[in-house]
Amino acid sequence: MFEPRPKEQAYAFVPDSTHPEKNRYGLPIETVPKGDARRGQSLNINGDPAISTNPNRYKQHGFFFTADNCIACHACEAACSEKNNLPPHIAFRSVGYVEGGSWPSYQRLNISMACNHCDDPVCLKGCPTLAYTKFAEYGAVLQDPDICFGCGYCTWVCPYNAPQLDPVAGHVSKCNMCVDRLEAGLKPACVTACLAGALDFGIIETKPENRVQVEITIPGFPTPEITRPNIRFQQTKPLPRELTRPDSMPIRYVNPEQGVGGLHRPAVDDDGRARGWGLAKLSTRENPLVVFTLISQAVVGAFALLFLAPLFGVELLTAARNPVAYPVFLFGLIAVETFALVLSTLHLGRPHRFYRAFNNLRWSPVSREMAGIAVFYNLLGAYALLTSVPMFTRWLPAGMVAVSAQAIGWLTVFAGVVALWFMHRIYRIPARPFWNHWQLLTSFYGSMLTLGALALVAVQTLVTLFSSGAGFTGVPAFLVVPMFAGLALEALGLWFHARDLKQLGGEGAVSHHQQTTTFGYTYYARNAVLALLLMTVASLLIAAPAGIAGLLAWLFGFAAMVAAAVVGRMLFYALVIPTTMPGAFFWRNRGFEEHARATGLAAMPQVGVVMEGH
Amino acid sequence: MLFGRNQKNPIHIADKGVVEWKYTTCGYCSTGCSIEVGLNAEGAPVASRGVADADVNRGKLCIKGIFEHELFRQTPGRGDQPLMRTQRFEPFRATGWKEALDTVGSEIRRIQGAYGRDSFAIVSTGQIMTEEFYTLGKLARGVIGTNNYDGNTTLCMSSAVSGYKRSFGSDGPPGCYDDFDHTECLLAIGSNLPEQHPIIYWRLKEALEKRKFPVIVVDPRVTMFAQMADIHLPVNPGTDLVLLNALAHVILKEGLHKPDYLAAHAEGFEEFKALVEQYDPVTAAKICGIDEDTIRNVARVYARAGAAMTIWTMGINQSTHGSDGVVAINNLNLITGNIGKPGGSSLSITGQCNAMGTREWSSCSGLPGYRALEKDQDREEIAKFWGIDPSFFPKQRGMFMTDILPAIETGEIKGLWLIATNPMTSMSNTARIRKMLEKLEFLVVQDAYQDVETNEYAHAFLPAAVWAEKEGCFTNTERRVNLTRNVCPPHGDSKPDLWIFNEVAKRFEQGRQIRFPENAEGVFEEMKKLSRGRLLDISGMSYDKIEKARGLQWPCADGADQGSARLYADGVFQHPNGKAKLIPLPFIDNNERPDAEYPFWLNTGRVVEHFHTRTRTGKVGNGNKFSPTPYMEMNPDAAVRLGIRHGEYARLTSRRGDAVVMVQLTQRVAPDAVFIPFHFHECVNRVSLGLLDPHSRQPAYKQCAVHIERSADQDEAARQNVAARAY
Repeated sequence: MFEPRPKEQAYAFVPDSTHPEKNRYGLPIETVPKGDARRGQSLNINGDPAISTNPNRYKQHGFFFTADNCIACHACEAACSEKNNLPPHIAFRSVGYVEGGSWPSYQRLNISMACNHCDDPVCLKGCPTLAYTKFAEYGAVLQDPDICFGCGYCTWVCPYNAPQLDPVAGHVSKCNMCVDRLEAGLKPACVTACLAGALDFGIIETKPENRVQVEITIPGFPTPEITRPNIRFQQTKPLPRELTRPDSMPIRYVNPEQGVGGLHRPAVDDDGRARGWGLAKLSTRENPLVVFTLISQAVVGAFALLFLAPLFGVELLTAARNPVAYPVFLFGLIAVETFALVLSTLHLGRPHRFYRAFNNLRWSPVSREMAGIAVFYNLLGAYALLTSVPMFTRWLPAGMVAVSAQAIGWLTVFAGVVALWFMHRIYRIPARPFWNHWQLLTSFYGSMLTLGALALVAVQTLVTLFSSGAGFTGVPAFLVVPMFAGLALEALGLWFHARDLKQLGGEGAVSHHQQTTTFGYTYYARNAVLALLLMTVASLLIAAPAGIAGLLAWLFGFAAMVAAAVVGRMLFYALVIPTTMPGAFFWRNRGFEEHARATGLAAMPQVGVVMEGH
Repeated sequence: MLFGRNQKNPIHIADKGVVEWKYTTCGYCSTGCSIEVGLNAEGAPVASRGVADADVNRGKLCIKGIFEHELFRQTPGRGDQPLMRTQRFEPFRATGWKEALDTVGSEIRRIQGAYGRDSFAIVSTGQIMTEEFYTLGKLARGVIGTNNYDGNTTLCMSSAVSGYKRSFGSDGPPGCYDDFDHTECLLAIGSNLPEQHPIIYWRLKEALEKRKFPVIVVDPRVTMFAQMADIHLPVNPGTDLVLLNALAHVILKEGLHKPDYLAAHAEGFEEFKALVEQYDPVTAAKICGIDEDTIRNVARVYARAGAAMTIWTMGINQSTHGSDGVVAINNLNLITGNIGKPGGSSLSITGQCNAMGTREWSSCSGLPGYRALEKDQDREEIAKFWGIDPSFFPKQRGMFMTDILPAIETGEIKGLWLIATNPMTSMSNTARIRKMLEKLEFLVVQDAYQDVETNEYAHAFLPAAVWAEKEGCFTNTERRVNLTRNVCPPHGDSKPDLWIFNEVAKRFEQGRQIRFPENAEGVFEEMKKLSRGRLLDISGMSYDKIEKARGLQWPCADGADQGSARLYADGVFQHPNGKAKLIPLPFIDNNERPDAEYPFWLNTGRVVEHFHTRTRTGKVGNGNKFSPTPYMEMNPDAAVRLGIRHGEYARLTSRRGDAVVMVQLTQRVAPDAVFIPFHFHECVNRVSLGLLDPHSRQPAYKQCAVHIERSADQDEAARQNVAARAY
């Protein structure tokens, strides 16, 4: 058990306070009812079997932050890092700020933020490995780095930047509410260290001594609706109508109402940045996911079209007519999907724990996507074996093979489409407004159609060119129509996406602002290529040119479609702006981190920026 | 609703395996926090924590203290053996202590023999233990016998010392932190507690949580303290003396002063009154930038408070009239009767952990125990105690640090011994400092860190132990003597400064005749004898008693259980007649003011995560990361006109030189002013001026004029910045 310091001060102990039965969301503050089996168990901290007698052990606790008082002295951050033995580049708690007004009526609002041990912990639900647990004890949401495989999905879904993905250690870790201290009746280390009467801790919905408010938000804090965080605020000092951030994020917070009332809402901080290509920033650590998503979508699309073609009376590759090309194509699909899966696995911080991906089918879209892809992948394999490796099926009655193949083929198509649905669910994250839009569906299924058809067109063309010697004879409308549909879907989605981002405001609008400035040329070029492709594919559909002219037109189409898809998907990852907390000028400033890496400052470990940005 | 795995692994929470806690006092600033350093089973220092029952910090620590044990773990740049070379442009060669100390001894004797005793100067610090200061003083004054001996405290507290001496007849802050719990009005001038002294800020904040009283902050920047204040006075740079005179003017005009107190305990009232008569609020407002109504309001609030106190730090001290500023604060508190009473005080918030120790015991400005070279009796008393001839002492104090360096330029000083100070980064006008150091025939740098920038010019480097690698006392801002126990052995072959001083003494004939106690406690016993009956009486203290009480405030006479919270409670001051002096202070505007060519005020200061020139904090990643590289706060309205954007690099030029710095745009600073932290090598002090105060010789770091432009080649500017950062 954690030992209090000799002659510990009163401020260090969690006070026993009267609290309402339920919190403001109607949830009982008592985490488990009396007599519940989950009571009276040891937290087993570092193997210690002791059971605390803290009378409030089964009540939801939370931080209380008096924003009026914070002076950004870093004591809370330091105490946390000291207690948890964290390297400089990792912090469970960070202080950022927003500022406004003009000298000397200038005001700065500092915000100290760690994990809010939410009622609805999206990290826990999102984690595919079940590394998270919301404990009955204090309502603490704890994460176990030994289970985590470092996918970083929790860092995507958390609106407060609480889980920390350590690129060096390869796993996530986060605030543990200092449950070891709580077991001894002591407030967390950060709270005990606070030097300004800003950070406090206790049973949720209780008002600390000398405080007058118990609010659920302050400017710069993402909407509590996403996770129902267990943090409460006091912020009584009137603030300037407009607040800006010191980090590189072009977000400002504007209060639509003059005076004390009203909430500050995030808006674009148009800093007049020049339009550019943003090529250096286009490449992110999610590059493997660019490849994985596009390949998976193409493979699902290609198989579906191949399988469904006979239904429409279209003759594409068949086992009978193309005894070599057909199996090569099918196994080729399996091979590229395997490549994509390996790539996405290596993208994990701890790839050897990949098998944990399916641990959380109940909640995690990541688990479901991986399960969906796995089912599709295995069915695809079975279909390939049944249809193109006769030695496996020779001993079976031919009719049975055909029926099985047909059934498995249908299942494969279904599984592929479902897997892509789950894939899109992964990105429907409220804390990432740029992603959280139905445009994802048009993009993912659009790519499925476009790239799937494109793969078949390519193979079909190669086969005709090399086997018949008849030259290029054109592409069947069965492939051109879905291709056109895919491109049209993509374009339609993008149009609505841009429109809605602008209207919604907030971080989504900021992403759109970046999209049209930092990445402006790239974005518009991709859109232009998409428009050009729509026209090209339409004319190819109508004219269906054969010979060299047709071949050249299709070669252009192929290159442009792949380029547009890859660039579009890279933009998708590069542009997302989470609804995180404001940073400071150096710490938690993406702009400074990039600068430190580019200039070599990051080579000094005490700068707190690790070199491996990607 | 609860979710999670059914089968749970044990919760893993970092456990540093501390088996023993050792008592120390923080070695950074002068707040004087009690820290315990935790040792693991292998005896390695792995954790720090505040001492819960220590009156100063009551268990709290600031970011620097929380990671102070890292000093023993993160040791890049630490010196682990003595280094020598004959010419500064040669590479160092490692050597043993004997050779290094022999050379130091013989070089001092050679230089003194060739150019006179005072041609070898010693500049020490505010960072080492009081016992070490006393020993160094004995060595410098009693053995080596140079009168050019000072501490770098001239850069931080010299004005406070000078002001206290002028007003009260002696150095020594009269107040204490407990005054926050009694005051009815607090005036803070040029002090940014939340950043510079966060624990003192916390003490103030705790007092305010219990009982609200007005807080008035005078600062040209809108610091967090200014924002937390009830009244913020964004005074024009360098004009605080005018504001203080105007406050006194209003108080006297409106009869809010305490004539009875003044009649009994002060002199010089008429001359003072005649002077402040000239500083009516209308006139003053035009100079100091604070409107006349506000001046009157503040004066009334302050004078009508049952008890009112003023705190200040470098905003007052580091100016061309820093000493006058301190005297003006004392004047204000004398006329309102706010000296020596609970909640009524002048309280300088000191910078270095042991700036007080050096003031009291190092003999820099005279002789140990607040004795003066100028007094026959003091010279004789100390000479007798040390067993030397009184005529060995000069009859007047020699040069201050800020005069010693220019004296190298003119050839008056040929040799220099620097102890735990880094003028290459800390002094104004780096180019000139380089020119000076380059001229030295022999420079000894004694420091815990061999990457201390001044080492570039050293002929001998003596690696010293740091903080709790040794034992001894610090005195804090409120005169509290507190103890640091030895926590771990010194790094490598570095040695405690006390050992080094004792060994150097042995290299001199006179040093072999004088008694130099081997250990710190022995030195402390000697100091106790010398303190008996004096203002700074520590004769009632012992190491064990200090540790038990978590620090004792002097005076603490033999037999006393406790120290004394306040000085001058009886109204008896240290001037020969027992009275305090009210001193008239005419304002002379001698600052380098912005003009068409150099249109911006340049202000410097500290940030919470760094200390001094970052030789320590620049290596502690969990602090350094909050400002790993220098930056300049600049007003966005001014930046727009110059085409400078947030996060870009700007080039500063002044009449001294140029500097490159990253720009942080913020309305915290005035449109015609910029602010740069002083901690970073090759940055602000390349352009700063540092005019000297006539009384204290302290440099005015906080006022000079610069020109600013956007760095034309941003990539090159970034490369320059990286090149200047060895840590």
